[in-house]
Order: sequence, then C-alpha cells, then structure tokens
Amino acid sequence: MNCVLSRELMGAYLDEELEPGLRTEIQGHLAECRGCTEAYSRLLDQKADIRSSAPHYKAPAVLTESVRTVLHREAALENAASKPNRNWRWMALAASILLLVSIGWNLVLVRSRPADRDALAESLLSSHVSSLIGTHLLDVPSSDQHTVKPWFNGKLDFSPDVKDLTGQGFPLIGGRIEYLSSRTVAVLVFRRRQHVINLFIWPATPAGSDPSQYSRKGFNLVHWNMGGMTYWAISDITVTELQQFRDLYEM
Amino acid sequence: MMELETALVFPKTPRNGLRSAGVHAGGSTPSFEAETREPVSEPAFHKSGKLEDFEEIILPHLNAAYNLARWLLRNEQDAQDVVQEASLRAYRFFDGYKGGDAKAWLLTIVRNTSLTWRRRAKRDASNVLFDEVVHGAPADAPNAEERMVDADKTTALRNCIEALPTEYREVLILREFEEMSYKRIAETVGLPVGTVMSRLSRARQRLEACIGGRRAGAEK
Repeated sequence: MNCVLSRELMGAYLDEELEPGLRTEIQGHLAECRGCTEAYSRLLDQKADIRSSAPHYKAPAVLTESVRTVLHREAALENAASKPNRNWRWMALAASILLLVSIGWNLVLVRSRPADRDALAESLLSSHVSSLIGTHLLDVPSSDQHTVKPWFNGKLDFSPDVKDLTGQGFPLIGGRIEYLSSRTVAVLVFRRRQHVINLFIWPATPAGSDPSQYSRKGFNLVHWNMGGMTYWAISDITVTELQQFRDLYEM
Repeated sequence: MMELETALVFPKTPRNGLRSAGVHAGGSTPSFEAETREPVSEPAFHKSGKLEDFEEIILPHLNAAYNLARWLLRNEQDAQDVVQEASLRAYRFFDGYKGGDAKAWLLTIVRNTSLTWRRRAKRDASNVLFDEVVHGAPADAPNAEERMVDADKTTALRNCIEALPTEYREVLILREFEEMSYKRIAETVGLPVGTVMSRLSRARQRLEACIGGRRAGAEK
C-alpha cells in the first residue's frame, strides 16, 4: 500500500465501506506512515466539522405548508379524474356483458331460425321425394332390423336405433345413407300400407331444435329427439299416423 | 482522474438493513425494491389512501429533500421551488414506488429535479452568472470571539462546499449530511459505487484544500 492509494481509499475506510482485505492493508499502512496518519486525522476533523458547523438546512414551515397544499390539490384532481374512469370501466364491463348475451341469444335464434328449419325441411322433403321417384330408396333392402343395423356400421360415425314395427303396421323395408345438412345421415324406410315413410336419423347437436311438425306440399314431417339423436320422419300419410309412428318409435 | 473499481468496495449491509436495489440510471422515476415499507391499504384502489401513505412515508424526508436542493442550487428560493416541484413529481410517481428506502427514493427525484432546474436556469439569458454567483455570506457576528470562530468555520465550510463542482458536492451532501451508504448514493445519482467512492474522495480533498487555503489567507 502506497500513500497515493492510501489517501484515495482513506475516506471509504472512514465510512466503513471498504472490503476487509483493503481495510487491513490501510490499517497496516496508517500504523507505519506518519503523513497518512495525519491526513486521516484531518479527514476525521473535517467530518466532525461538517457535522457540527456546516449548515444543515431544514425545510421552512412555509415550504412544508405549500407542499401539502399542492399535494392535496393533486390528490383531489386525481380523485376527480379517476371517478369517471371508474364509471367508464363499469360501463365497458356492462357493455361487454350485454354484447355477449346478445351474441349468445342471437346464436340461439339463428340455430332455430325458421328459415334454417325451412331449409332443413326442404332438403328432407327433396330427399324423400327423390327417394320415391328415383332408384335410390334403399341401400340395404331388408325387413330384418338385425340386418339393417349392422349394415350401417362402418358407414356412419354413429349407430342408429333400428326398430321393426311390423306388428304395429309400420314394417321396416330397409335403409340407406344420405348426405344432408353437411353430414351423412341414416335413413330407415318403413311402409304404411302403400305409403313410404323415410325416417332420417343423425346425432343431435347440443342446441338441437325442439320437437315439431310440418306440412309441406302434401307431405308431413314430424321431428323429435331421443337418446342424443335427431329424428325426422317424413311421409304422405296423415300427421296423426305419423305421430303414432313417432310414439311407437319412442317407446 | 483515477476512478476506482467497484470491486474495491466491500459490499457491506447498509445501516438501515435494506438490501440495495438495481442501480438507478439517472433518469426519471427511481425504483427501489420493497422490503421495509409498511403494508399499505389498497393503494391502487383507494385514492385517498395514496395521499395518506405519501404523507406518512415520503413527507418525513422533506428536510433531507430541502437540504439537498438547497446545497445543489445554493439558493433558498430555488430550493423551495424545486422541492415543491419534486414533491409533486414524487406523488405522481408514487404508484411506482414499491417500497424500500423512501429517503433515497425521494432524494433521487429531488436531485434530478434540481439538475433540470439548473439547466433550465442556465439557459435563461438573465441567469448567466447563476453558477458563478457566490451567494451572500452572512455578516460576521463580532460579539464574542468564540462565536466569531464558529461563524467563520461555518462560513468557510459553506463557501467551500458550495464551491465544489456539483458532481462532487452532491455525493458529499448525501454522505455527510444524509449518511447514506455508497450503494444508496450510487442509486440516487445513477453511478457505479466505485465512481461514488472516488468522487467522494476527490470532494474531501478539495474541501480540505479550500478550507486550508482560506485559513492561510486569513492568517496573512
């Protein structure tokens, strides 16, 4: 430790800010060097003089007072400014909730909108009519439900409930697959005297439509839901008979 | 001029038991980490509580704020204006105060406000002599010899401290008047601890030379 470094570090030593290694070195140097010891002593005096004699300014009372005044005014301004903000926040929240509710409600409405139902009924009707006039009534002609049901396996992503209502006057004559409303659906074909009943079956959507019935161009449609499936029966038999068919099927 | 390495400084625990925060980079709002701040009742939601918290936590350091501004600006009226402005700024930043050394936090703002104030004053044409003006020494009180000696000492100290360059003066004030650790001073002025240490050393040497020179001049 030389005197130049000693004078440089002396202050930090005095302030107890020096790391232990240097502290020891300074102590060793001060014990040997008269000049540095005197310098250190002057540093101690200077510190004491500053503490005792240098002006320690205190905030004048008028300043403390004016600071408080300014702060209170600022706080009042902040409060005034934050209140509308808070209202805004609530209003925004309320508006968001209203919007969500309205969107949700509209979705419900859209799902069961008459126009959509009409479209579905129209496509069911046209499928029914073309099945009657064309050749594509049956993919699997069978009156045996144990033949028809396995036939659907592997052709659909669901397994329709196949019932034979021969004893009740609605004999099963077969089944086919149709593409309807953007999905493949199962169609079971029943006979009522000389009339054909097409029963469309597909998995019900969560917001499935309510049971209902329609009459269109002389055809009747009866719709119901059961066991997670949507059923649409369409035929030119009377509504009463079609409802009877539904009741038998639901049993 | 030789600036000491930070490594030379033993990282001792500051006297108030706080761990220090990251070094503040001399700019706008200072940040010290939360350790000793008393739990505060919902500062973000309860606006009237903010003022009460500020008055309780920050305002006790108004004397320190004034002392620093007074030494940095060497003028009573400027110091008052700066402290008022700094208090308002501190209040606006108070949401960002995460606890910690409240005095160091406030003094950082006071210091920055003072330096901005000085720059602004220097720009004004009417204040050309701002830095050069030695603010009036009080009249000596020649009643008693002892008092006169004290008054001389006080005057000499004040004039010599005021004559120091600002970058030396500020670290000396923070150390000798506010008794802040080197680390806290470093945060407040936005410098490495080693630089604080070397500036402080330089400030003390200059101060000693100034007072010695005055004494020698008086003895002639």
